[in-house]
Parts: sequence; structure tokens; C-alpha cells
Amino acid sequence: MSSKAEFIHIPIRDLSPEQLLALSEDMKLSLSQEDMVEVQKIYQKWNREPTDVELEVIAQTWSEHCKHRIFSATIAHQKDGQAEEVKSLFKTFIKDPSEKIFDAKPGFVLSAFHDNAGFIDLDGKNAVCLKVETHNHPSAIEPYAGANTGLGGVIRDIIGAGKGATPTAALDVFCFGSPDMKQEEILAPDVIHPLGIMRGVVRGVRDYGNRMGIPTVGGAIAFDDTYTYNPLVFCGAAGVIEHQYIDKEMKPDLKIIVIGGRTGKDGLKGATFSSAALGEDSHEEDNQAVQIGNPIEEKKAMDFILEARDQDLIEFVTDCGAGGFSSAAGEMLSETGGNLYLERAPLKEAGLSSWQIFLSESQERMVLAVKEENLPALQTLADTYQTEMFVFGESNDSGILRIYHDGEIVCELDNTDLHEAPVKQLQAVFNTPELAELPTLKGEANLAASIKSVLADFAIVSREPVIREYDHEVQGQTILKPLAGATGDAPQDGAVMSVVNSNKGYAMGLSLLPEWGKLDPYEMGLASVDETVRQLVLVGSNPQKIGLLDNFCMGNPEDPQELGKLVECVKGIADAAEAFQAPYISGKDSFYNYFEVGGKAINIPVTFLCSGLGIVEDTNQVTGSSLRKEGSLIAVIGETQNRLGGSVYSRVSELEASKVSQTDLATNFALYESYHKVQQEGLILSAHDISEGGLAVTLAEMAFSEKVGVEINIANLAASEELSSEVALFSESSGRIAIEVAPENKEALEAVFAGQAISWIGETTKSHQNLVITSNEQSLISESIADLKTIWKHKLAEYY
Amino acid sequence: MMTKTQQAKALILKFPGTNCDVESVEALEIVGFEVQLVPIALAKPEQLQGVDLVMLAGGFSYGDYVMAGRLAQLEISNRLGQALHEHHAQGGYLLGVCNGFQILMQLGLLPAGSLTENTSERFICKWSHLHVSAKNSPYTQGLGDTVEFPVAHAEGRFVAMDAALAEQYDEQGLVVFKYAENFNGSHAAIAGLQDETGRVMGLMPHPERFIKTKQHYDPDWADEHSEAAHGYTFFESIYNAITATKA
Repeated sequence: MSSKAEFIHIPIRDLSPEQLLALSEDMKLSLSQEDMVEVQKIYQKWNREPTDVELEVIAQTWSEHCKHRIFSATIAHQKDGQAEEVKSLFKTFIKDPSEKIFDAKPGFVLSAFHDNAGFIDLDGKNAVCLKVETHNHPSAIEPYAGANTGLGGVIRDIIGAGKGATPTAALDVFCFGSPDMKQEEILAPDVIHPLGIMRGVVRGVRDYGNRMGIPTVGGAIAFDDTYTYNPLVFCGAAGVIEHQYIDKEMKPDLKIIVIGGRTGKDGLKGATFSSAALGEDSHEEDNQAVQIGNPIEEKKAMDFILEARDQDLIEFVTDCGAGGFSSAAGEMLSETGGNLYLERAPLKEAGLSSWQIFLSESQERMVLAVKEENLPALQTLADTYQTEMFVFGESNDSGILRIYHDGEIVCELDNTDLHEAPVKQLQAVFNTPELAELPTLKGEANLAASIKSVLADFAIVSREPVIREYDHEVQGQTILKPLAGATGDAPQDGAVMSVVNSNKGYAMGLSLLPEWGKLDPYEMGLASVDETVRQLVLVGSNPQKIGLLDNFCMGNPEDPQELGKLVECVKGIADAAEAFQAPYISGKDSFYNYFEVGGKAINIPVTFLCSGLGIVEDTNQVTGSSLRKEGSLIAVIGETQNRLGGSVYSRVSELEASKVSQTDLATNFALYESYHKVQQEGLILSAHDISEGGLAVTLAEMAFSEKVGVEINIANLAASEELSSEVALFSESSGRIAIEVAPENKEALEAVFAGQAISWIGETTKSHQNLVITSNEQSLISESIADLKTIWKHKLAEYY
Repeated sequence: MMTKTQQAKALILKFPGTNCDVESVEALEIVGFEVQLVPIALAKPEQLQGVDLVMLAGGFSYGDYVMAGRLAQLEISNRLGQALHEHHAQGGYLLGVCNGFQILMQLGLLPAGSLTENTSERFICKWSHLHVSAKNSPYTQGLGDTVEFPVAHAEGRFVAMDAALAEQYDEQGLVVFKYAENFNGSHAAIAGLQDETGRVMGLMPHPERFIKTKQHYDPDWADEHSEAAHGYTFFESIYNAITATKA
């Protein structure tokens, strides 16, 4: 069906600032009064009134979702009374430090910060990329569809990265309220119970990833009651591309084509919706902002694009995400200029006005710029893969985006005037809380009970019921799987993927520590990056070849106390990247994750998801986290600190808040370099990161392969000072890895780790199937591994 | 081992939503097949001339929003008419994995029954031990009494008109693989079926995901087993059966 122009002119030139703000609110533009005044100035300069299409385009272009205005803002920050000014968190703490590392490692980062995803070199011929997005607000309102299209969207990012990367893996990280929360504890009527959110979100991810045929190989779930109101859904996808297809450039005289799904009323204003807070009315009002997913439509579009790429038919490609055609085609034409014709867009339904067609966020659409002479070949491919294609318009050299609808001009924007949204001015403050070095301890009597309650905590329990719903083996490249070991159900520290036609592979790792952020956001930043790097190196990545991603979620950035935590966290991640010489290659942020109820705002904790890609030089040299042999030695590398702050044990045992461990980046990185050397020589049988739950949980999880019993003497554990058994077993200090080593390799390891912390704490045995932990002669824990595994393995299944 | 002279030809039909085609091509090629991947929109009956094995790979053809495999079956009838049946009648082989098995069931090329939702009503991705029931199948030569393959499906529960009929299939030697642990509730624990000729084979597990030992979840698998990756042997078996008839 061919649509007709439907638009209006909106007089703004004579409005007062208050009237402008009222207009923004009426139209749900999510533009501030300052922004509206800026828009008014532009139209006064142009000497005309805007159309509704133009205002919607400007609102989308300047939205937080698309422009990251908080990360670019000028922030007056005060830390412990010391004033400082931050001109753009992004530039100061992410982009500039990363670019220094790019320069120091020529040829490693091949693209970053300007495309859909950043690329790092794999093997001189291929490159790999990773992108992580959030889909928080839609998932709160409609968990299945929100998560479904969240994964669909990030996969499209990969398909639209370079001239079309091949999506090869997915990861998903969720933050939910506690599954056992009582309904009456939820303060607002329409908020969906965490269980409903979890089930919907997991199934949404499952049905998109599985149908697309992209293995979901990594993930995490964090639980905190504040996430009940603002659940977080991070969806990530990795891809592979040949170097020659990474760079793309818009030029005049190209045809703009669209392939994939049709355009409808679903997903109107998602970009501006996700840049505002949720409230009691959101569940009723904002339904239209959530899109409907159809993974097979996207699969067909993907098949089309990958084939078109291989036939060299693509000059430029990007996906339709938030902002729809406006952000995809609009951004493509922002430099060159060009004409688009709305009546050519096939619609799902009649009755869309001009702005609705241009802004609709209907899923599964990709926008390409191609040479006119290639149109017949592209049409053949569209017929082959049964996807719909239309020619939307063309680029030119006017610098002006002109949108026609059935002969009428509905939008005419000169981008040179619109390029920069006004810089926001924000206030932040952070005062270091007074915390005890160590909480009052419970003593050694209950350690056996404690390991069970920690293993049964939602932070630790097996994610198996969720993992099994995802096809994590499709494509046949998943070498280190999320569940492995001799019984195929023990947890691992990261996924390792092989790559078609390459000897090398890549690993994906991730970390999020919101509990730490409540106590010390700077240390959370350090520890999260440290854990990500540690996981990547542990499974077999080269520590010199790591690319990182930063994803932030937080509540209200206009609350200086909240923003102060973010600033401190971002400082931490900059320091960590520099120390590890691991640059950020991509990132994303999501603000306004707070919920207003009864006049009060419930903010989520400042949440930082660090994820990363590491190059695995040899996919035959990959290390899992499950014990393998009888008579092996068990050692811990790294030093344990006398701290319990932010730990699962501290929370489960209801200890008072105390300081988190401090991360010594340089020391840790030297350890990881040593580890990598012995790992590559094949001297490590298995290794497991010591993180949430501490050493006790790490040892139990390693034993869940059920091959051997374990005997440990923690008196031998290297520590910064003398530790009580509780701290030794449950401290979550960073920079530590437990390893399994054949006895004959002990000397070789000691030589490599000379001068570094390595403590030989025990061995594996076939004489029993228990986890036995002593401190010299004193028995602390002696539990059947099978019993511990039962506690850990089945808890989530009761709820999920 | 015989020399691989690419004398056996395989063709994989790709539907919108087929997503195991790349690893299936690799699995066929690694044992020696010459492989053609044909999108269904381009498929013509004459393309089957000279093809020894037609494979229907895993995925979600057309989304499987109606009964799994049903739309693909209609599209095959529409584009290829009776060509697959004729290919079979003339001595050709047909292999369907996962969604391909569902399509073969819809095409009526295998003993009657259907593949429906797992009893758990969940998608299940895990590795599964299988008993090799039909020792004479051209697809199982070289495999031991039990094998291990990954499974990944939501609609993999095989049901016949009644459970007794499924048991009868087993007695008739039509059941090729049976789940050691019947996690999806299939009648007679059926994981894979063949027709009377043995040339048509459908199975829910994914042999193409286990063609190298490093694909196994247990890092010690290769040290503790003397045989090749079971999926490799599976594809090698059918390659050998085809080339033997040509020799």
C-alpha cells in the first residue's frame, strides 16, 4: 500500500521557554527547556516553523539514547570535598586512554567508537567484534518482547558493523529482583514480579538467539531488590569479519535501500522512551514503545547481507535500531545529504503519519548504501533469501536531509546546524563512606553451614536451567562451553569460540559487581575490569590481545549523589584499562533506571558491566574450570586480602558493611602474564577464577566435575596479613586464580612465578569424594561434593 | 583409510530459518563429500541429478511457528514436487538432522509419527548418550554400542500413534538411535529413525557438532577414548556406504 503525506507545521518561533518545554512534554520529545530554546534559535535562523517530522527527528537525534549526552556532559564533581571538573566522561576516561593504547599496539584495534561495534585483529586476515546493548525499559514493561528485540537489535548491530560482520556468539546479562520476593513487598501495582520478568526475559532471548542460530555462550544474572522496579537486560553479540570489509564510507550518488521487515506502529518513540524514568503509569502508557520481534525475518536479512558482502555489493550498511529510519538513514546521510521517499516504505498497516513512518522502530530492518549498477544483483539476492527490498532514496552532495512523502517535502534539515546538541551541565558528589576494615566475624564453628548457605545463594547457584534453554552449540564452534567438565554441568569462567578457516579463536568474559559499587564504586571499576581480564587469560587468551567493553546503567543522573558514584567508577575503569593495556573498543550507557512511587525515587545501584574479547592463539590450548586428575596439586596464585566487604558471605551472614578489597593492577597483570606462559606450555590442568563466594566456592565448583575428592590446608594460603579461616575461605579479593597442576610440573611453575604469590594449598584424591578443608590440624569443612553440588545445582530450578 | 576423491555428492537445502548449514557443509566436506548449498527459492528438481545425499540441516525453517517442518514440507512440494521421493526411489540417500528430521517426518519419508514438544515444555541444549540400535544402518558403521552427540531442541519428542507402534519400529530395526536417558519423553526413547531401505535417516541429535574431539565438553575425552569424534564417524559411514556402491 502506498501512503500519503500526513504532517503539520508547529509554530515555535514565538513561544516562551516555558511554552517550549510544555510542547516538548506534550509531544513526548524528552527534550529539556535548554534544548528546545536551542531548537527555536535554529528555526529563527532558518526563518520558518518546523514540521512535526523535523521535531521528532531532532528529538531522536539529541536523545540520551542516541547521543550519550550525560557521558559527554561537563560535570562539576566533588570528591570528599575536593572540587574537580570533568569535561566529558567518555572522552576523558574512555576514548582518550583507549586511543593511547591503540597507538601503543599498532594493528590490534582495527576500528573503534564510530561503527556499530569495535573490531580487533584475530589472525591478520580476520577480525572479531563484540557489542553489548541494554534493553531495560522495554523488558520492564513487556519482558518477553523486550528481551527478544534486545537480542535481535544487538545481532543487527553486528550485521551492520563494517560491511556486515557474521554474528558468531551471543551473551546475555540480567539484573533482577530476588526470585523469592513476596508479592506484597512490591510497592507499585503494575510492576511485574521478578519471576515473571526472569521467565519472560530468558524466553525472549532464547527464542531470538536459537531461531537466528547464534549460540548464546556467556552471561550472568545478578539479583538485588532494587532491580525489581528496573530490571536490567544486557544483550551482547560477537562477530567475525575479514579485514577488507571493515571500513565503509558514505559517498554521494549511492542508492539507499532497505531490506527486511515492514514498517508499522510498533516501537514508536523507543529512543526517547528509554531516555526517561519509569513510573507507575509507564506500564499502561508506554506499551507502544515496545517492538515485536520476528527472528526469521532477521535471519533472512542476515543471509542477504552476508552474501551481498561476499559479492562486494555493499558500500555502507547500518541497522534500524532506536529511532528507526531517522537514526539509520538520517545518520548515513548526515554528512553527504540526500533524498528519501517515505511512500516507498512497505507498511504493516495503514494509517501511519509521516513522522511515524520515519521514526518507527519496527524490527528486522537494515539500511544499505549501494551502487546503482548493483541493484539488479541485490534484487536477485533478496528473492533468493525471500526478504523484501526497496529503494528508499539516494545520497547526494547537498549536506541536506530531504524527506519527501508522496511529492511533498515533510522534512528538510541542514545537518551542519544540528550536529551538536547543547552540552549538559551536571553536578556530582562522592563522599567516601566510613567503613570498618573488617566486620565482626562469626567464628569458625559454622564454616560447613556457611559454605552451604553461600552455595545456595542466588548469586552463586547454578544457572543451568537458563543455560540449557539457549542453544549454545549451534554453528559448532563453541570449544569451551558455559557448562563443561567431566559431567558436562560444571561452571566455567568464559566461553572460547573457534573461528571458521582460522587456527585462532576468541574468548568472551565478563564481570559485574554491583555489591561492590554500593561501598566503593572506584574499586568496583578496578575489580570488574580485573575479573574480566583474569577470566579471558585464564581460559587461554593472550593478555596482550584483549579488547574491553564498558556498559553502564544507573538511576537518575540529575541526582548528584548518584552521578558521583558513576564518576568514581569511570575513573576506576580508565586506570584499569591503562594498567592492563586493554583498550575499550565499544560501550553503551543507560540512564534513568529509577522508579517513582509515592513521591520517592528507587534508584538501581550504579551497575557496571565489563565484558571483553581475548584472542586465543591456539584453540587446542584452552583451559576449563573443572578438576580432571587424581593426585594433582592445587595452588592459588595471587594474594588474599583481609577484607570481606561486598562479598556474598558478608551479605548471607548479615555482617555489617565493611571495606572491599583493593585491586593492585600492576601486580595482578604480572601474575596473569606468568599464568599465560605456563598455560600456553600446557602446564595447567584446570583453573578457576576466585570471585563471588571466595575460595570456598571456587574449590567446590572445581570439584563439581565429580572426578576426584579434594584436600586443602588453608594455612598455606598467601595473604597480605594473617587471616581468620572465614576470611581465607570467603574473601573476594581480586587477582586470584585457583589452579590444578600435575605434581611433576610444580618446579616449572615455581620458576615462572618466582617472586610472585603462589601458594600450594592442597591436592586431589581418589580415596574419597569429599571437599575437605583444614587449617593445619584443625578440620574446618568436610562435606560430600555430591551433596554440595545438589544444593548448588537445583536451587534456581525451583523458581525458574 | 580410503582416498577421498570427491566422488560422493551432497546437496543441502536451505530454508529461511535453516541455521546449521555452515557446520553441516563442513562435516560433509571433512569426510570427503562435494557439497552444494542450495537456497530453497533457487531449488529445481533437475539439481538433484547426480546427487547422492540430500541433507536437510537443523534450524527453524520459516520459524516453525506452525508445526515444526510443516511449511518447509509444503515449500518442498511446491518447488520440487516429488523430486525428493524420486531421488530416494532411484537409490539416493536422505539425511535430516533436528529440523531436517521434522521435515522428513512431514514429507512422509520415515515411519509414521510426529515430533512434538518435549515433556518438559522447554528447549533443551545438552549432550546426550545414545544407544546405537540399528547396527546395519549405513549411517552407523564404525560407531560403537553407544555414542554421544549434542541435542538442542524444543520439539523433539517422537510419538507414534501409540507407544506400542514405536516399540514395533524398534523390533523392525527402524530405530537407529535411542536416548540412554529419555529426557524429552520420546516413545521407545527414539532419537533417530530410518526407513526400510536404510537410506533415509532422521535424528534429533546433532552429529555435525561433534566432528572434532575438541568439541566435546570434557577436556579429557580424547585421552580416554580411542575412537574419532562420533559425528565424524557418522558422516564417514554414510560417505563410505555411498562410495562403496559406486566402486
